[in-house]
Amino acid sequence: MKILVPVKQIASLDDQFEMRDDGRDVDEDYLEKDLNEFDHFSVEEALLIKEAAGDEVEVVVAIVGDDDADDALRTALAKGADRGIRVWDDALANADGTSIARILAKLVEREKPDMVFTGAQSSDFGSATTGMALAGLLGWPHAAVVSNLEYKPGASSATLRRELEGGLEEVMTIKCPAVLSIQLGINQPRYASLRGIKQAKQKPVDELSLDDLGLDASDVAPAFNVRKMYAPQRGKAELITGSAAEQAARLAQIIKEIRGM
Amino acid sequence: MIPDHDPQDITRVLFDNFPLWMLTTFYVVAIGAIGVFLYGVWAQIRKYRRGMRAGAWSPFWPRFRTMFARVLDHKTIKRRARGAGAAHMFIFYGFTVLFIGTSIITLDHDITGPITGLHFWHGAFYLFFSLAMDLAGLSLLGGLLYMMYRRGWLKPPRLNYHRPDRSPEDPDYDRSDYRREDWAFLWALILIGMTGYLVESVRLVWLQNDPAVWNYRWWSPVGASLAQLMKGFGMTPEGAANFRMVLWWTHGILALTFIALVPYTKVKHIFTAMGSLMARDPEAKRRMPMADVEAEKIGFSLLTDFSDKYLVNVDACTKCGRCHEACPANASGYPLSPRDLVLSLRELANDKLSHASMPEGPIEVIGTEVNMIRPETLWSCRTCAACVEICPVGIEHLPMIVQMRRALIEDGNFDTILQPTLKSLQKSGNSLGENKRKRPRWTQKLDFEITDARTEPVDVLWYVGDYASFDPRSQKVTITFARILKAAGINFGILYEDEQTAGNDVRRIGEEGLFQSLAEANIELLNSCQFKTIVTTDPHTFNTIRNEYPEFGGNYEIEHASSMLERLIREGKIPQPANLDYRVTFHDPCHLGRINDCTEAPRQVLQSMGVDLVELGRSRDNSFCCGAGGGRIWLPDPPELKKPAELRAAEAAEIPGLDVLVVNCPKCLNMLEDGVKGTGNEGNFRVLELTELLAEAMGLDAKPKDEDEASETAAVPA
Repeated sequence: MKILVPVKQIASLDDQFEMRDDGRDVDEDYLEKDLNEFDHFSVEEALLIKEAAGDEVEVVVAIVGDDDADDALRTALAKGADRGIRVWDDALANADGTSIARILAKLVEREKPDMVFTGAQSSDFGSATTGMALAGLLGWPHAAVVSNLEYKPGASSATLRRELEGGLEEVMTIKCPAVLSIQLGINQPRYASLRGIKQAKQKPVDELSLDDLGLDASDVAPAFNVRKMYAPQRGKAELITGSAAEQAARLAQIIKEIRGM
Repeated sequence: MIPDHDPQDITRVLFDNFPLWMLTTFYVVAIGAIGVFLYGVWAQIRKYRRGMRAGAWSPFWPRFRTMFARVLDHKTIKRRARGAGAAHMFIFYGFTVLFIGTSIITLDHDITGPITGLHFWHGAFYLFFSLAMDLAGLSLLGGLLYMMYRRGWLKPPRLNYHRPDRSPEDPDYDRSDYRREDWAFLWALILIGMTGYLVESVRLVWLQNDPAVWNYRWWSPVGASLAQLMKGFGMTPEGAANFRMVLWWTHGILALTFIALVPYTKVKHIFTAMGSLMARDPEAKRRMPMADVEAEKIGFSLLTDFSDKYLVNVDACTKCGRCHEACPANASGYPLSPRDLVLSLRELANDKLSHASMPEGPIEVIGTEVNMIRPETLWSCRTCAACVEICPVGIEHLPMIVQMRRALIEDGNFDTILQPTLKSLQKSGNSLGENKRKRPRWTQKLDFEITDARTEPVDVLWYVGDYASFDPRSQKVTITFARILKAAGINFGILYEDEQTAGNDVRRIGEEGLFQSLAEANIELLNSCQFKTIVTTDPHTFNTIRNEYPEFGGNYEIEHASSMLERLIREGKIPQPANLDYRVTFHDPCHLGRINDCTEAPRQVLQSMGVDLVELGRSRDNSFCCGAGGGRIWLPDPPELKKPAELRAAEAAEIPGLDVLVVNCPKCLNMLEDGVKGTGNEGNFRVLELTELLAEAMGLDAKPKDEDEASETAAVPA
């Protein structure tokens, strides 16, 4: 019995930052890398199943990223995942969700997991496509925004609850194996102590290239291209107070300022 | 002194008139009692040795000397309990003299006499011996009677064993067995003492016709007075002889039973307190125990993780209640009393480690069953070290709590509210969830630039700290301190965005791996800079750099801001401050006052401003924690409980005409401002940092440069 949990290392932004010279992304210096918030929940869900079932369940975490991404992977391993897989190739620098899903589909072929848990989305780009695309490529059932899960390892189906718009919830049964995109709040993710993260270095991590998975650069070419990234100019608001006459005077002054009169 | 008698004849009868069977019975009972005593001692030692061996008793002789001095001078027992301390001293010295006296008789009668024929227990020696024994008896009884009066009538709250964190249906709720044992102990000693005097007096009545006895009776003043009285009531020598037999045996059996029971009852504190005092680590309140973060396990989750020293510690507790009274968590209604924590561990150890064989399987310490330590108990601690400071027998509660917290952190067993804080510390080296880059942003509010100590040599490296860097209220103090340093012409610098929290609270919350990683990174950074001394306004940072970094290879000279300001005023580097017409009181930060003994410098700074300083009821080593320490500043206090800071603010509010509650720590400032608001004292007095008050006295403009609003209000779309 095996659960594959693909995770992502996301970038979070300082409140003061500068753009890269080419204007297509933020300067790396202003980004802090971390494990995607949603993935804390998908990893936790897999670990809860593992703990409830005893140790016959193996939790494998996979990440697509360069050496830097080891930190995020190790955080997941420190929490209790059994081993990790890291896939990287320079051709993946601009990979989109679908490209990542192609790689994950190869990993599923290789690992033959019984379930795949992804985060509902990434907390930096928020496309929410990887899980869906992976299910499509595998021809597996998929459920998005899963907020509750009842699943016994080895069962042929799982019962889950999903959050819908407008405050509705949906309970459904899904055939296994399946790809589930896990929503925030489904559980209470555990803390990975720094000691645990360091010790997770001893856990096995397979480092794979595109070659190892039988893919080449053209298979993972992104379907889109970022042309520009920028911080929109901020507007300005002012609460005008005082008597009607004072308010009118202030308003007239603002109009004059804007029109340059 | 002994005009008409051969000194050999001036002695006391021992077994005269005893038939052989009676004599034999006595020796059998006495040897039996000693056997029971020795077995008990052995069983206790076996229990302690089932903990981890820590080598806490070496080097033996220096430790022994220190312990012996403390036992003789009773300094630790007298602190904050003068009456009980004095009474204990009377009991201790009385008991010790009586014990030595009885041993002398045994030595003379059963050892040197039979073996070498040497008898010395007679003549002048005997008479002084008699006098000493009689006075020792008075000392013992006097002390015991005071203790009875204290327990029975004074009833100080600290002697109430009811557990505020348990309900009446819990078996460990009132610990009434302890209460019964206390009284049994007092009565046993009183009866032994009184029957001793009675035996003495009936012996005198019985032997009144022997001048070698009767003529010297006043060397036993108490016994002689009683004898006089008995004679007055018409007791005859024959009647006295019979009565003597009954009393002799009563006294003997009581005393032998007492000896036999020593290792099984609270009497064992005679030994365990000495063992505990000997093992005392003077650094225990300042430096948390080192741990190997690479090891398989970290912290204490099992009873067998505790060291032999800690097992002796918990057995040494005399339930004096000083820690119970001093603990801010307990005072505010949190489920922690250091006394109860120690007693739970004691009961658990007695239950699990006292038997011939160890129980199967691991002995978990943290949990909800009887005598286990509940996680919420451990999280209640503010690591203020009030318990460690005041414990008369050297129990180190704080390191034990931190060790158990380490196990909880490793297990993820803690309030989830703490997770973002710990993650922020891992990622950005601060506890406020702020980006590293923001750390030096407060410097933008200055009208001068602070030297970058990473690139330029400075005299003084200012380790700013987390709250002082990020907390808006503390930033004002930070800016003020920077201005004072500038005004004093100090060549100082800071580490800008590369500074990370020193880790005092990280270590105390139990995240040892993170603490060590922060310490190593900070030390590496500090070692790459050129400076003479370090200064900080934060007592937590001060404590950790001063006392904990040396173990990681970081040896620096560090000063707290208060000491530096005191020195600058004394050396005339900053002009003599103007007199302020305020009535102030001073709240000693735990990590500065109690933990690092820096209590005078801030007071001298206050003195230089001519303010009227009125001390709080609890100050210096007895300061009452604001509630922020040990990472508790990261955990919200439940609304139904009083905050320690509110208790403290109420204490300050009792000072009539108070203008300013002076604090000297960014966290105290944060907590006590809330405490003052929470108790409705906002309009009554202000909370100010020492630095701010000094700036006022120096006439420095306390207002920071207005933030440059221009960038915020740029570009309005037309």
